[in-house]
Amino acid sequence: MTGHNPQVKRLVLDVLKPHDPPIYDLAARLASCHGVEDVDVTLAEIDQDTESVKVSIDGTDIDIDTVKKCVEDLGASVHSFDEVRVVRRPHPK
Amino acid sequence: MLGSLKKLRGYLKISGVASISRRYFVMNSFDGAMAILGVVVGAYGSGAINPRIVIGAGLGAAIAMGASGFSGAYLTERAERKRKLLVMKKAMLADVSNSIHGRAMKVATVWAALIDGLSPMVTAIIPMIPFFMNSLGLISIDQAIWYSVSSIMCILFLLGAYLGRISKESMLRSGGRMVIVAVLAALVSWLIGRF
Repeated sequence: MTGHNPQVKRLVLDVLKPHDPPIYDLAARLASCHGVEDVDVTLAEIDQDTESVKVSIDGTDIDIDTVKKCVEDLGASVHSFDEVRVVRRPHPK
Repeated sequence: MLGSLKKLRGYLKISGVASISRRYFVMNSFDGAMAILGVVVGAYGSGAINPRIVIGAGLGAAIAMGASGFSGAYLTERAERKRKLLVMKKAMLADVSNSIHGRAMKVATVWAALIDGLSPMVTAIIPMIPFFMNSLGLISIDQAIWYSVSSIMCILFLLGAYLGRISKESMLRSGGRMVIVAVLAALVSWLIGRF
């Protein structure tokens, strides 16, 4: 036991999604997830039925499972985790 | 309540059912009103208009159109939506039926079926109200016919005006076009009723 609690502060995902819902809905949905403070979605590639987007999420304590569930609930899927930043903070007394 | 409405709007938006249901609404409302116009004018033309027969025939037609509209649209929309989900599944290489798309598909199917079923029923029942009033002794049969045909013309004019609003054309002209179609149909029904 280290007495420290790792917290995810930044997450960058490569996401494949259908055209609907649009990226602003995806961003808004992710922004409502617990611990998320800032979401940035950039269109990387567009196909006939799908589009690839780069999702950057910053927050205080991002729950990766919740973010993944949010993405999948919109019919999209996480292709890869391209960047993660985790910090360790002491447990609150 | 507001949350559910927001959710419903979201599902309707993502499924793209709004424009389809607009079409269903106008087409079937038109059918409902025109069917009753045929019943009323045909009965009047035959010279033996009986409010009980008009109500019976009109209600029967309204229920049949409602049932046919609901079941027809439900089955058609369900098949179309399922196909759309399959295309999406193929493109995404993942099952999307448990996502917002799967839920939107179910909502869109029921929504389209309700619009398709209820719109002809409503526009068929409204012109029958004067005949209910006549059977209660509130108005005469001539008044009932006049009010009924007028309400049908109003419904058709409003439907035409609504179409004009969608297509950004003159609402007056678009509404008038619908009324002309109705007048022609009434004329034919009346002539058939006379022979």
